[in-house]
Amino acid sequence: MRRLVLARRTLGSLRSEKTIVLALVIQLFIAGFSSFLVVGLVSLYDPGSTEGAIEVDVGVTGNASGDVAATVADDGLRVVPFQSQSAASAAFQRGDVDALLHATTQPGGRILVEATAPEGSFRTTLVVSELKSALSALEREQRARFAQRLDRQPLDLPPEERSNPYFSFTYTVLLPLLAFLPAFISGSVMADSLAEEAERGTLELLRVAPLSLRDVVDGKAIALVGLAPAQVALWLALLSYNGTAVANPLAVLALVTGVAAVLVAGGAALALRIGARREAQLLYSFVALGAFGAASLLPQSPQNLVARLAVDSATTLTWVMLAVTLAAAAVAYAGLRWFAGGGDA
Amino acid sequence: MKARNVARIARWETTRSAGDVDRETAVAFVVVLLALAAIVPALVTMGPTPGEGIYRVGVEDGSQYAGVVASDPQLAAVDPAADADVVVTDTTITYEDTQKGRAALSTLRSATVSYNDFLMRQEPDQAAAFPVVVSLTYLPQTISVTGQPADGGQQPDDGTGSGGGDAGTGGDGQQTGGDGAATGGDVPTTGGGLSGLLGQAQSGTPSSISPPFPLQSLVFAFAFLLPLNVVIQAYGSSVLAERINRRGEPMLVAPVSRGDIVAGKTLPYFLGALALISVIALATGAGALSVLAIAPLAALFLAATFFGAMLARSYKELTFVTVTVSVALTAYAFVPAVFAEVHPIAAISPLTVVVDSITGDGVSAGQMVLSTAPPGLAAFVLFGLGTGVYREEDMFTQLPIPSKLLDALAAPLTSRWKAGLWTALFLPFVLVAELFAVAVLFVAPVSISVPVLLGAVAVIEEVAKSVHVLAGFERGKFDRSVRSALVVGAASGVGFFLAEKLLLVTQLVGLPDLDVAQAAFSPAALGVSPGVLLVAPLALHVVTAAISALGAARSRLAYLGALLVAVLVHVAYNLAVVVAFA
Repeated sequence: MRRLVLARRTLGSLRSEKTIVLALVIQLFIAGFSSFLVVGLVSLYDPGSTEGAIEVDVGVTGNASGDVAATVADDGLRVVPFQSQSAASAAFQRGDVDALLHATTQPGGRILVEATAPEGSFRTTLVVSELKSALSALEREQRARFAQRLDRQPLDLPPEERSNPYFSFTYTVLLPLLAFLPAFISGSVMADSLAEEAERGTLELLRVAPLSLRDVVDGKAIALVGLAPAQVALWLALLSYNGTAVANPLAVLALVTGVAAVLVAGGAALALRIGARREAQLLYSFVALGAFGAASLLPQSPQNLVARLAVDSATTLTWVMLAVTLAAAAVAYAGLRWFAGGGDA
Repeated sequence: MKARNVARIARWETTRSAGDVDRETAVAFVVVLLALAAIVPALVTMGPTPGEGIYRVGVEDGSQYAGVVASDPQLAAVDPAADADVVVTDTTITYEDTQKGRAALSTLRSATVSYNDFLMRQEPDQAAAFPVVVSLTYLPQTISVTGQPADGGQQPDDGTGSGGGDAGTGGDGQQTGGDGAATGGDVPTTGGGLSGLLGQAQSGTPSSISPPFPLQSLVFAFAFLLPLNVVIQAYGSSVLAERINRRGEPMLVAPVSRGDIVAGKTLPYFLGALALISVIALATGAGALSVLAIAPLAALFLAATFFGAMLARSYKELTFVTVTVSVALTAYAFVPAVFAEVHPIAAISPLTVVVDSITGDGVSAGQMVLSTAPPGLAAFVLFGLGTGVYREEDMFTQLPIPSKLLDALAAPLTSRWKAGLWTALFLPFVLVAELFAVAVLFVAPVSISVPVLLGAVAVIEEVAKSVHVLAGFERGKFDRSVRSALVVGAASGVGFFLAEKLLLVTQLVGLPDLDVAQAAFSPAALGVSPGVLLVAPLALHVVTAAISALGAARSRLAYLGALLVAVLVHVAYNLAVVVAFA
């Protein structure tokens, strides 16, 4: 009961300092920022993903230009044939064409393509990825032509279908980011909160109150561990509202609670042991960073667990790893209580 | 400020920090750092994929596609009869018509392309296996390609910001030729990897060609900016610790100035940050110029943290301030740098200097100024504001951040004309905020980006002209009369007008050639006679600053209303200029 009072007080101080609002704004900003980047990057690459596909004009020369021109045109680029390389490069200089392909057939049947793309321009990336796709198509055609010279045959490609280029990013980067950031912040605030009590000397005062140190730690930890899944639930709801379906939301929240418990226990232990904020906070950041790094070497890392659960590709191992995380959380928390109780059970 | 005092305080700060750490903590630091050092190579070699097994492909063990699925970690093979996103049979490939199904199919397609290359590399007849060899070079075009594709080519200009790195770099594409392509031997792949991503010449099979990818700025952003986060965390703690239990009091009564104390406390951390940056620059092969470019940014990190630590009430609050500082500044450095090598907008970011220094492209003086002056000046002003409240009555009182902020803003306003001075000093922040707005908005079509930007610019400038005026009235620095409000407003407007000439720095790198940048920085420069050019903006700034000052003189609520009116007047003026002269 007293612990709950303390938990309420911890939440109350977060509320009165408006830090929780700031925390949500920061998370929203990070998520928005990374999404903005990915959308921006993909639109640099993938002309189809932006509205109104951009035409790329390609000047083609050389003795293999017939083959090249046909394939390049099939791939959706506009072909402008030129008689001579000098005429073509003059047109490129003027900006009449976006790229040049000078294709010559070698004695062995191989086609040598000298490609020229505009330098330092906004469209360079787009032009090069279009050229790459057209030349890959040419490569496939030529391989089919030389089929009898090959011992193995290349596999047919699966059909091309418009797909959301951000799909994988959303589930493997954005969601894990939104899931673990609150947990990380909770642990950090826990370390702050205890280190400050220790530095100000108020931890001693609390001990005079009819509370054991274990109760104090418990109260703060309950509030901060609970805060993490609450924030993540908000993000999941927001994502679903935006059309990103999240399968197994409860399992994701359970995982977040587990990770938050481990981090909060770690932050609390460091703060109690060191008693100074600067050292405790630095050490906490390093340890948390290292723990995430080490955990990503596991067969299914926490990041991967979130992705698999949310995208509905969970395997038996996924559930086992979730159980392991929760067990680790229980052990870490029990360890913290033991430590706060001065070592006795 | 006396150099000797600063040095003594800096020495004290260093020895005290080292002395504070007990042996146990020091051992823990060493152990953790060693563990981190061990984990990083493991991560690099193992290369964990967060997307492992997110797409389930139903495929028979004997199928040729089983090899494809095994080659891509994102794909997981399942029994064809089981629940799967894509099912491959001997004759057909079917997929679920959901977002996930289509994403799985497209991943399977690109995995098949690389699997085919893998198959073909084992062929004896390499000329038939890789029948196309590409050598890619980049050449500058003379027309403008910086604007929107729809109305391309407004001004004869090509990416002034990038320059250099001409076709001559093609030379390193041929060095490893070995057995030439013509003989039908292995395809010599050169210039791939990092240099390919950096937009340099490369040659190889079509699938080995990589479009210039702005990824490197991400890597650099992390390499250069992450260590700064560690530094500001320690620095913020140290500053706030002075404010806990009145620990900073002995120093305040010592015969040294406030400036000495702040400079002394900051110096070790700034030097530490510089040392870290230099080490990273050495490791990444960036030149001395890149250290010079990042240094003002490091100073801004420290300045914002210092100011935040002067306002924060507790360590908890400080944590959020620190995170906000690092996220905002990382975004500022990072967003424009994404377009390094691609677009002149990148010149805004100091990281672009780093990228150019690594690729060997030249850095123009204008680019250097644009990327370093705004953060450097902003750092200077923030330190000034923070030092203003580094005094007994502010340091040891607990107030919410907004009222502390008002205290800090009001502290230097000792006379009315100082309002104009501080408006001028806020200009680096205005510049930083507007540059960031341009960087974020320039990808959007002109029809959206220009109006949004005009609004954003108006808000940024009006707030900068009035927020300290409000603080002055709230803290009783000015008497709440109409006459006083008009005088302070006029001072603020004139200060802004004069300092605004700083924005001319953007002309140095050809940013105004961008439609959005033009809207932000020189809406009036679109063909107005010089007389109007001078008088009109001056009148605008004085009028809008006076409007918000009148509001501020009444109450906070009235200030908000007046600020809104000022913003609207500003937007109307900007629109009128753009419509009338564009």
